[in-house]
Amino acid sequence: MRFLPSFVAPLVLLAAGAAQAASSWSFDDATVQVNAKKAAGAKEKFSETNQLSHPIAIGNTDSVKVLLVAKDGGKGKRPHQAFVVLKDELSGLEAPFPMTVKENGKAVVDIKYVDLPIQLATSTSPLKASVVLASFGSSKGLNKPIFSVTLKTDPNATPPVYEKPLRYGKREAIDHIFRADPKNPPKIISAFFVLAVLATVPALFVGWLALGANVSHLQRALRDAPIAHGVFFGSLVALEGVFYLYYVSWTLFQVLPVIGVVGAATFLSGVKALGEVQSRRLAGER
Amino acid sequence: MRSLVSFLLLALVASVQAISSSGGNRLLVILEDVAEKAGYSKFFGDLEGMRKSLPYLLPRPNVRVQAASHHLLIASATGRGFDIAYETPKSESLSLFHLGERSYDHVLFLPTKAKGLGPNLTPNILLEFINAEGNILLALSGSTPVPSSLVSVLLEFDIHLPTDRQGLVVDHFNYDTASASEKHDVLLLPTPGPLRPDYKDFFSLSSSDAPDGRERAGERVVAFPNGVGQTLGQGSLLSPILRAPSTSYSYNPKEESETIDDLFASGSQLSLVSALQARNSARFTVVGSADMLSDKWFDASVKKVGEKTSVKTLNRDFAKAVSGWTFGEIGVLRVNWVEHHLNEEGLSNASNPKIYRIKNDVTYSISLSEYSWDKYIPFTVPENDELQLEFSMLSPFHRLKLNPTISSEDSTTYSVSFKLPDQHGIFNFLVNYKRPFLNNVFEKNTVSVRHFAHDEWPRSFVISGAWPWIAGIGATVTGWLAFCAVWLYSAPPATGESKKKQ
Repeated sequence: MRFLPSFVAPLVLLAAGAAQAASSWSFDDATVQVNAKKAAGAKEKFSETNQLSHPIAIGNTDSVKVLLVAKDGGKGKRPHQAFVVLKDELSGLEAPFPMTVKENGKAVVDIKYVDLPIQLATSTSPLKASVVLASFGSSKGLNKPIFSVTLKTDPNATPPVYEKPLRYGKREAIDHIFRADPKNPPKIISAFFVLAVLATVPALFVGWLALGANVSHLQRALRDAPIAHGVFFGSLVALEGVFYLYYVSWTLFQVLPVIGVVGAATFLSGVKALGEVQSRRLAGER
Repeated sequence: MRSLVSFLLLALVASVQAISSSGGNRLLVILEDVAEKAGYSKFFGDLEGMRKSLPYLLPRPNVRVQAASHHLLIASATGRGFDIAYETPKSESLSLFHLGERSYDHVLFLPTKAKGLGPNLTPNILLEFINAEGNILLALSGSTPVPSSLVSVLLEFDIHLPTDRQGLVVDHFNYDTASASEKHDVLLLPTPGPLRPDYKDFFSLSSSDAPDGRERAGERVVAFPNGVGQTLGQGSLLSPILRAPSTSYSYNPKEESETIDDLFASGSQLSLVSALQARNSARFTVVGSADMLSDKWFDASVKKVGEKTSVKTLNRDFAKAVSGWTFGEIGVLRVNWVEHHLNEEGLSNASNPKIYRIKNDVTYSISLSEYSWDKYIPFTVPENDELQLEFSMLSPFHRLKLNPTISSEDSTTYSVSFKLPDQHGIFNFLVNYKRPFLNNVFEKNTVSVRHFAHDEWPRSFVISGAWPWIAGIGATVTGWLAFCAVWLYSAPPATGESKKKQ
């Protein structure tokens, strides 16, 4: 605790003041004035007990001038701390504006709109201004709200943009949006077309019958070449059966050897069976 | 033979010490004069776990080993077990690195008077120390200017000090009337709560740390005497531990004793104790007031403005919390294991497969522990905060909350089940948990996500739109077989018309 020479004088003074009574800081003759670029606005008075009832509106070229006389225990004196503090009520952010104080306690500060920190300049709620007067020693400090400031936004000027700094914290949850499942037409329509397709089979048979198709030579064919015909037609059916199994469960390499066997049977029996068909044709019976 | 024995002993001691604290326990204290440590004896006593210092700086290794093992025995019984070495900046043997490895795990700077700190503690060396995951606790004082090399280090971290390297924080509304009724430079502050509601609270000293009878928030007071305030830049690695009250401000006691010419900062813009956690989780803390750590202010009686009764300060607990955080005794997270598996009936649920299919149901689990002074405890995510899992390829497809499922004595398992996105490619299970005051958790597990195989699609007969086509195949097969029969066995019609359908 070193007492510097420049410190001692005011401290002694303050100590003397403190010895008289537990004094406290106050102010007097306080006015606030909005200075626009062209003309100065009206001076409005306020006091410790009587803060301005209406908010002060400033535009982006204006400034607010606050004048007051700081007093310690009724006498004009220079406090060490003489701030006008603007506070954003929503965010709780504060910006101090130190006043220039003379020995006799006359204090002045000119708060320009452009000097406002960006966080306050972009605020949507009125800014609350308060006066803080305090100094070393035992005198009680003063911290009183005096008026509020609303910010007029100029529609022609580009509004200030405040980018929030990055802070670590939880981030917004993301749920993946899946592509929609493929859609089917209504089942009734599918069923109708299934019936339409299946109806072609009897239609085909009826058409053939109308044209005179028949299987009357079956007995003759089975008599002439019973094994060949049985195996040949059976292998044709078996081939379709293999394809059916391939569709239901078999793999390609299960299918291929079976197709090979069935195909060979078709080929060998087909030679004989189709020879029999040819013999009927040559006999003029087809 | 003697050297061999001492080597073995050293190895043993080293291994025991390595597990005694998660961040290592070699602490270097830099002060103006080694004798000054007497003023901080309680603080160092708490750190060391012993009241008297040990002859660490003796040159003979075997003596050092005995001293260290002796110290360990006591440390395990009482204290935090730091192995403290005291040096002055002028010391020629002082070196933070030996053969490219850190010689110390932590460094504590107490105020020194010299303008610089000499060739052994240049800003570059201090930054290298941080890069090598060393922790630094820096205590400043309002009565001595800050060495310029430390100012440069602070500027690197975007921590700003008052101009002329000197400043004093005063508050005419919250000072200690008992000791600073004139100068108002002993600030009395309530212990700080969490910075944000979703941050872990290490410094409010609310729970068992505070002795009985001081539980009410208004009475949990920390004294901040004769300190320097800092302002912090916008970086996300910086966070204030203790902020100044709104009526406080900083001024230069040499030049601005009458009026303030150029206000450095005021109110809560002033950070009195600030923390930086680097990307490698190295910690750097600035304590604005070194006196805060001194014996005088540990459990000192202070009186607030306008109050009649005096209260005891919680500086001792606060100093323990701040130093404990800085030196990696609290707020250190450990990932025990990470596991993910398929969560589907009838399929293999082997752990951590390399490949999944799109739209698979998968469960991911991660087990976390938190180091707390001397042991690992289960890590609980603060209220309002979430531990999140990202399933990402370039950008996250899923970001999901991980819920605690299993809690054991020293770990908590967090897990979540979800359906993989319908996009194939190389994906990461990513847990990127970065929070102030907790060391960074970054766990990335890469898996492939493949398409449906050809036999994994739904069969055509369950797709109603395919029924007409299936029926068409059936009709064709029937028609073909009937045609073959007719072609093979049809007799010419009995009537004269001989040409028939083949």
